Amino acid sequence: MGRSSKDKRDIYYRLAKEEGWRARSAFKLLQLDEEFSLFTGVNRAVDLCAAPGSWSQVLSRKLRGHGEKCEGGEEVKIVAVDLQAMAPLPGVTQIQGDITKVSTAEEIVRHFEGQPADLVVCDGAPDVTGLHDVDEYIQAQLLLAALNITTHVLKPGGTFVAKIFRGKDVTLLYSQLKIFFGGVTCAKPRSSRNSSIEAFVVCQNYHPPEGYVPNMSNPLLDHSYDVDFNQLEGPNRIIVPFLACGDLSAFDSDRTYPLQLDAGKEYQYTPPTQPPISPPYQQACHLRKNNLLSKEDSPSSLGPRQSGDQAQAD
Amino acid sequence: PGEGPVLTVYSLQPVPKACTSVPVLQQHRIHGTRSRVSTTISRPNSSTLQPNSYDLAVFGGKTVRLVRLHLDVSAVKLAHLEISRPPVELQDWILDIRWLREDKQSLLCVAVAHNGALLLDISSGNALAHCSCLEGCLLYSALLVVHKSWADTVLIGGTVFNQLVLWKPGGEASHNRAPVERRLLGHTGVIFSISYLQEKGWLASASDDRSVRVWAIGALGGCGGNCGDLKPTCLRVLFGHQARVFSVCLSPRRVFSAGEDGACLIWDGAGGGTVLRALKGHRAGGIRALAVSPGRDDTGRWVATGGADGGVRLWKVEDDEEEDTVTKTITDLEFSGRGVPKVVCVVEGEAHNTKWSQCRILVCTDQGFVYQYGNGHWELLWRGSPEFQSYCVMETVAVRLKDSISKANLCAVGSLSGVLKVFPISHPQNEIALQSCSGKIHSLIWQQCDQYVYLLASAAEGQVYRWCIDVRFNEMGTVSLRVKCCPAFVLPTCSKRWLTAAVRLPSKSKGALWVCGDRRGSLLLFQEDLDRRGEEEATDCMQANIKGHETDGALQEKEIPEEHKDLTLSPLSCLFGVHGKQGVTSVCEYQGLLYSTGRDGCVRIFRVGEGPLQLEVLRVQRACKGMEWLERSLIESPGDDKKGSTIENKGTEARFVIFGFHASQFVVWDPVKLERLLAVPCGGGHRSWSFWPVHTGVWPGYGALVFIKQGSVLASERPLESTSVSARTWNEGWSLREGIHGRGIGCVCRLGRIWVPNDSTANRAETPGPVRVQIEGQWEIIVTGGEDTSLTVLAVHPNSGSVTVLSIITDHISSVRTVVALTHQDRLKLTSQSQSLSALVISASGRAQLQCYRLQIGWNKRRLAPFCQVVQVAGHRLDEHWERKRNRHKMVKMDPETRYMSMAVVDDNSDAVLVALACSDGAVRLFSVSEVKRQIHLLWETFYHQRCVLSVATCSLKAGKGHRYVLLFSAATDGKIAVWDLTQAASGSSCDAPTPPNPCLSIAAHQSGVNSLAVWPHTQGPLDGGCLVTVSSGGDDGQLMVSTIRVDFLEDRLRTVGVTQDQPQSHLGLHLLSQLSFPSAHAAPVTALKLLRPGLIVTASCDQRVCLWELCSTSINHRGVLCSHVADAAGLAVWEEPVVEDGRTADLGQTLYEYNLYDYYY
Repeated sequence: MGRSSKDKRDIYYRLAKEEGWRARSAFKLLQLDEEFSLFTGVNRAVDLCAAPGSWSQVLSRKLRGHGEKCEGGEEVKIVAVDLQAMAPLPGVTQIQGDITKVSTAEEIVRHFEGQPADLVVCDGAPDVTGLHDVDEYIQAQLLLAALNITTHVLKPGGTFVAKIFRGKDVTLLYSQLKIFFGGVTCAKPRSSRNSSIEAFVVCQNYHPPEGYVPNMSNPLLDHSYDVDFNQLEGPNRIIVPFLACGDLSAFDSDRTYPLQLDAGKEYQYTPPTQPPISPPYQQACHLRKNNLLSKEDSPSSLGPRQSGDQAQAD
Repeated sequence: PGEGPVLTVYSLQPVPKACTSVPVLQQHRIHGTRSRVSTTISRPNSSTLQPNSYDLAVFGGKTVRLVRLHLDVSAVKLAHLEISRPPVELQDWILDIRWLREDKQSLLCVAVAHNGALLLDISSGNALAHCSCLEGCLLYSALLVVHKSWADTVLIGGTVFNQLVLWKPGGEASHNRAPVERRLLGHTGVIFSISYLQEKGWLASASDDRSVRVWAIGALGGCGGNCGDLKPTCLRVLFGHQARVFSVCLSPRRVFSAGEDGACLIWDGAGGGTVLRALKGHRAGGIRALAVSPGRDDTGRWVATGGADGGVRLWKVEDDEEEDTVTKTITDLEFSGRGVPKVVCVVEGEAHNTKWSQCRILVCTDQGFVYQYGNGHWELLWRGSPEFQSYCVMETVAVRLKDSISKANLCAVGSLSGVLKVFPISHPQNEIALQSCSGKIHSLIWQQCDQYVYLLASAAEGQVYRWCIDVRFNEMGTVSLRVKCCPAFVLPTCSKRWLTAAVRLPSKSKGALWVCGDRRGSLLLFQEDLDRRGEEEATDCMQANIKGHETDGALQEKEIPEEHKDLTLSPLSCLFGVHGKQGVTSVCEYQGLLYSTGRDGCVRIFRVGEGPLQLEVLRVQRACKGMEWLERSLIESPGDDKKGSTIENKGTEARFVIFGFHASQFVVWDPVKLERLLAVPCGGGHRSWSFWPVHTGVWPGYGALVFIKQGSVLASERPLESTSVSARTWNEGWSLREGIHGRGIGCVCRLGRIWVPNDSTANRAETPGPVRVQIEGQWEIIVTGGEDTSLTVLAVHPNSGSVTVLSIITDHISSVRTVVALTHQDRLKLTSQSQSLSALVISASGRAQLQCYRLQIGWNKRRLAPFCQVVQVAGHRLDEHWERKRNRHKMVKMDPETRYMSMAVVDDNSDAVLVALACSDGAVRLFSVSEVKRQIHLLWETFYHQRCVLSVATCSLKAGKGHRYVLLFSAATDGKIAVWDLTQAASGSSCDAPTPPNPCLSIAAHQSGVNSLAVWPHTQGPLDGGCLVTVSSGGDDGQLMVSTIRVDFLEDRLRTVGVTQDQPQSHLGLHLLSQLSFPSAHAAPVTALKLLRPGLIVTASCDQRVCLWELCSTSINHRGVLCSHVADAAGLAVWEEPVVEDGRTADLGQTLYEYNLYDYYY
């Protein structure tokens, strides 16, 4: 029962497993593509903060679905960037690197043999603190970092898609994105839950301001409210169009479904495609499982000695 | 501490209490405060300088603000906060702030999230210096080590890459970019908190990986800006938290850490890295903030913790403390008698309020001997005949003697063969034998009533024999017993058919009543005398006894009236098996209410019904998770409780504590504060235990446990210690501010208000305490439901801003998402100043669960606080059939795990309330809730939407000739709103034919989910057989949509034409007239929308704005906005103040209260 309860709670989690996606978020990119035709004419695509790799999977299946070459005869190249290693994906080049480093941008361009990317996507979310103001801030910084590296690798007219939290200062992010892109839309795929503040900005037609030189040494700081330009209160805020995307006849991510989805097909449990790679709490869980956590009740048991931890001087 | 944007100062001496508070940051939560002494004055009687004002740098988000705290030195309790300057807004998120020491200017060192630091002049708001680290990554936490100058300052940051980096922002770096000086690796998660201890050169870090690491870093900062050891080492890795560690603090001998598991652990920092003490007391959701005071030798340290539940708690910790004061150590009383101890009882001394050291302990062994312990020695008290060997039950009682201030202690012993002996402990040779039992005596229960004492013996075949015993001193100074046999009780037929608990309720009109509990888990009601004749007879019998005593002067005698021998009593009322198969463990009575405990983990609060004599359970209170074996409940005595206090609150529930076994410990649990008051590591569920003080029914806040474990008699307190009220306080930790919900709050509903007139506080002059708490005026009563699966009843005093938790209801098994209340207060005038309030509250949660309660709120004049009486009316679960299935753990449940998303009251005029529920499985369901029958019924369900239904709303229309129509509106994740005609359901006629209607109309309103609906009819009156209805909706797309519907009353028309009206379909014709929309009403999903009054609505959103909108026929006008600090507002309750003042919070003078919901998934 324990295994199937998550299948029941989340229909897209179950579908992702059944269709071989590494995470349910694959459906979000597919539904965004249904609305915006993101992949048309795309030969070079970058997936930022790619782990566990579901968006790279979508890029791979969609861009090279019917063979190695697309119509133009150009070779399709997909680069996935993440800090942590992820299981290899056929047809996707992995770069284990930091998106705030120039070297990472250079490595991406090297893989494209000097050519800029047609599409940059980012589904990254921070390690959540549970303090929502902090989490929204960190997500905004992640998006700005993704935007910054995008300005290094994206071709003029290219498309940038990123996860955004619709929070207090989201209008500041919109105003920043509008400086770089001709069209900015806030899109919510139907596979993203209604109860989540998550949405996606689809930024089309990249054209940086005149004289803009990409620079990684300073982080892009978020805008501040300006009395004339973008108000804290009132109607003069920059709000970009909202678009819900995905077919209404598709599964509803908020609905709770029975395990038996249709009468003809018996429910069968599918194991996850890709188990999580070394979560932060791995050691703590191992200690708890073996009853090795320090407790007040057992003063005799010594705390675990450090193992393999080291400090190093720079 | 900061709570949201509000800063509050608490004074710790003499009694910890809130002093003063002030809102500092408008839209940011306070993340930290840093103080420095601003001015000092000399003390009158000493030469030392005493600070009398402090500068506080208060920061949160990108904002920092200066607040000055003034203290009145003559009276420490008087504090005053002053805000002079506007907040300073920075470019980047602030992680740490420090005052530059010995600086008369207002210079602050600030660490910001992009691994930068700046020197800020807070008076001007100018940054004097700025520097970034070459490692330009994001930080989750930072610590500044600041001494005298900016140049010597050192910054330690916890990076997004799980590292600690150390660098010098004031160094001579080129282009304001400084290199990393030291790097500490080891954490496998991001670092949430950093602490540095100068005198040892230690650094501590708390992480997402659930560990705390202590590093030997060496000297930091100071002259020349030390960066510590070249190769710092990790001294210790502390794993002890069950979840992420949010905060860490170092003291010379201890490491304090607090985390998501709600515990603050105190570690032996210098020694083996063991946990010395765990401070627990916050509700689920964990501890976010931690502060440890600098220690002084005499007073120890204060530890303050701030929880995600919104609570602030304070703890006193001694530096040399080696053990937990709550968890007691065990003393072996070294039993030296013959045989193995089987039963233990604590016997109080003759005097009133016996001290622990004066208590005696009685033990019965498997040899049938009774031993007494006193003054450190065991002595044989009573030697049982051979039939008491191998099996023996024993129970003692302290009897207050008639015409005497002293007490006599009686002991009853029962055997396997039904032999029963009673003897005074002071004169065990004066034993009397009570015969008439047949078979094994399972249990003995004493019950004192007035001048008599009753003994109940539960024997074979459910027979409970009873005796009434008159205890007196005779002329020779010994105790004499007179016994009268009373009719036996017969328990209901079942397995394990014996009595486990009993209480006698004296009642003049109905004869005495007995409320009993049995081993089968049933609660039973017996009436002592079946008719008047029997009662008189009993009185005669008793008088005869007393007469006999006067004449013959015998030491004991027994008289068993023959006519009672065969008379047995059956229960008048039986709640069979309510406490489950593990049985009832206790029943007690307090001020008209009964409290029972059982081994099902529940306390049941119940009463004897006022009509026919039967037992009615009012509500069920569970102890903490995993605490299933409850033994007793004791009424919690308020600190100022005096004997003979007013009984004006008769029939209302008192605060109580729960005794029971939790895993390997005996625990005293406070179900309101949700904390352990006492824990004895006794090894787990014991058949025989005894507690001192004995049988008071009231928990004095201290006590000692005696129990038998593996043949030894053990005590939680050393027997010669004179533990008493004054000796120690057991209550660990003070709650400076009560927590509301552990996790997010899912819904909020205002019940109404109660008024406290000024005269009711007149006697407050007597109450001690330096701080006068304002309590007059109105208290708003609010119910919230949370992700922690509980409902909380709150009283909010808007004048002082204080919030009191009145009750916590824990019947839901999943997150509570919606709650509605039916009060009749709003039908009276708004200005009526009632002191009490009654409401029917219906709550709905995940796992398809509905609960219904009757809440009575009033003012307790003795405690000077509002109180709330909760009566559980009914509960319902959609999948009850599944829960009842045996072997369900072996099967896979195929049904969806339905969540109830929203609820609306359709009708409450008949004897049942009709509620419509929006369900996550795609259904709209209609339920009837009957308070009288205490039942909830599903009337019908419809899967019309085929998508998760998010919200429901209703609207009642008045047509001509007293006709009334009811419309239901339901909306789902596809942005569509369906309208249903529920007129027939509301009139009660369709209860027999529960077929769901078809929707009359479907409106496309939003692109994605409709989170909230508000509906009202136009008041212009019915215009030629119809009216207009406005539907306003707030969606996930940030849009505010207003749809106007024309409703035609077809029935009225038909009638005027003269057609018979028995048509099955709806009598209403609905047409969408117009739609007005405000596409970007909010930049984020609109999570709540409420009607203030027709035409005026309030919306709340995740963009932290609360907006007020006025609707006209042609436009939507934005009338006002409030920026809130709540990043995740989801519920909203609005009401208008009776007196409309201009220029208050929003435009129109209404006060808005909002609560956060943390329900988003990443």
